[in-house]
Amino acid sequence: MKKNFIIIMAVALALISGQAMAQDTESWTIKARVGYSIGGTAPLGIPATIRSIDKFSLTPSLMAGADVSFPLQNQWGLMTGLRIENKAMKVDVTTKGYRMEVVKGDSKIEGLFTGHVSQDVTEWMFTLPVLATYKLSNKVTLKGGPYVSVLFNKDFSGIASDGYLRQGDPVGPKIIMGDKPGEWATYDFSDDLRNCQMGLEVGADWQVHEHLGLSADLNWGLTGIFKGDFKTVEQTLYPIYGTIGAYWKF
Amino acid sequence: MNRYPLFLLALVLMCTSCIKDELPNTECDITSAWVEGDEYAENFYEPSQMRLENISTTENELVFTVRSLISLPKSMPLYFNITPGATISPANGSPQDFTQGPVTYTVTSQDGSWKREYTVMFKEASLPTFTFSFENYETKESSSNYYHEFYEIDQTGMRQNIWASGNLGAILIKYNSQAEDQPTYSTPDGYKGRGVCLNTQYAGELGKAFGKPIAAGNLFIGRFILENVLIDALKATQFGRPIDRVPVRVTGYYKYQPGSVFTNKEMQEVPGRVDEASIYAVFYRNKDAQGNDVYLYGDDVLSSPYIVRKAQVATLPPTNDWTRFEMFFEGSDADEALLAAQGYNMTLVFSSSKDGASFEGAVGSVLYIDEVAISFDNDEN
Repeated sequence: MKKNFIIIMAVALALISGQAMAQDTESWTIKARVGYSIGGTAPLGIPATIRSIDKFSLTPSLMAGADVSFPLQNQWGLMTGLRIENKAMKVDVTTKGYRMEVVKGDSKIEGLFTGHVSQDVTEWMFTLPVLATYKLSNKVTLKGGPYVSVLFNKDFSGIASDGYLRQGDPVGPKIIMGDKPGEWATYDFSDDLRNCQMGLEVGADWQVHEHLGLSADLNWGLTGIFKGDFKTVEQTLYPIYGTIGAYWKF
Repeated sequence: MNRYPLFLLALVLMCTSCIKDELPNTECDITSAWVEGDEYAENFYEPSQMRLENISTTENELVFTVRSLISLPKSMPLYFNITPGATISPANGSPQDFTQGPVTYTVTSQDGSWKREYTVMFKEASLPTFTFSFENYETKESSSNYYHEFYEIDQTGMRQNIWASGNLGAILIKYNSQAEDQPTYSTPDGYKGRGVCLNTQYAGELGKAFGKPIAAGNLFIGRFILENVLIDALKATQFGRPIDRVPVRVTGYYKYQPGSVFTNKEMQEVPGRVDEASIYAVFYRNKDAQGNDVYLYGDDVLSSPYIVRKAQVATLPPTNDWTRFEMFFEGSDADEALLAAQGYNMTLVFSSSKDGASFEGAVGSVLYIDEVAISFDNDEN
């Protein structure tokens, strides 16, 4: 998977550089973008141990960047760039028998939690997309391709409260968790988050005016957000975010 | 046409936000048990003794207190509240003979993959013995941790789990620990035979995060209700068992060394303060004016208005040699009729840190206890 991705990247970059030299520089298009993302870091299919999603709060999932695109032939073209973005999530769920484990230093608490979980995810990253573009009309350009992201600020933490833990398994001792510090369990898996993510991106640019345009993109993570050896969160969580943005075409 | 990606996004959000059907319950607890029928009431001292409520998930032995085993009917129906969807065998409400010893019930979870066994027994009340040599203990396992549970044997050879400790609370944040790693354990180095070692421990980063940075070794007559340990730790220690005579004096042997650094609830050093062990006993009325059960907990064991008399060892000077201690009960007299009706409870408490219940003490404080005896009015020795 990783290898394929690197090959695609290399081919794409070779094409870009080759084309760039061949093309008249005036056919290049540079776009500066800002956007707002909404989505989630979630398993593909919510496990049955999550009984309801009680609250999904908007987070400062902002994006800013610039990219360069140039035509290849007919309607086709290539686009690449660099953006800084945050894929964040804040969600409150109700669980029933959700497996959790909290390790701190030499102490550990683990078992099945039934109650309220408040989850925070923040992932600030630099993202490099390499996209094929297809000019549908003078105004609308479709785009799609892989991206790779490098994280520089990450947080995955939360609180388990208002419920109880069965230590170990469903017949283990029950420990009631309350609704304030000292009575609830906090967890922090920030250090177990991967530093590098990759995925696929599809979207469209819509040239509204001469310079100003609107965009919509979907970023679908293909790598789980946690390192391979991290087993505490049973499900593999993928970052899946949609971005609504505006751009300025120079 | 540019709406296409938005449509995709909506599709994704729909797919990932589907809540699956609830799975069948995996738990299989008995939460309460009771004898139903006025015809059985005469076998009990109080109607309230016909019910066991709020049964802790750490208990698998349910004990009803009766006036006399001999007069207990040979067939009596027992009812249970169990985890929704779970099944119980023998059947809920089926008549059983409890006069021939414990009856074992098996509760199976709704999903069929988990089981718990409970033994239900009917016993004549009161403490089974008044001399405690701490020779009897069982090594139990909880989530890959081991710990010792002390018990006594009564005159009929039956095991009586009168002793409780906070071990299960300390274990909550441990993994792969041995019985001797716990705050309370049986040691071969007793005054005579085996004895009890109580030691105050650091409760780890997690214990600290829960505002409970230390775990003092403790051993007491009563029950430890683990469920409460995070939300109200003082309510986790439920003190006392019925006693049918009035205690006068408690004697025993101890060794004690305080840990070097005394810390407060925030795990900050309290300079100049030296940790102290504590040994005390409380005799109290176990019914309120309405006939409801009264228990003493960590927050009122020495201050409750239901206390009739109590005994405390004034000081326990540090010593590395087995040293005799003695304490006398002070307070008022008991009512004979109430005494005969099992209206009094008694507890005996040992702790390696006097204020361990409020998480103040010195890590490393160690108290050894052995050969404890309770003496009575009519017992002139």
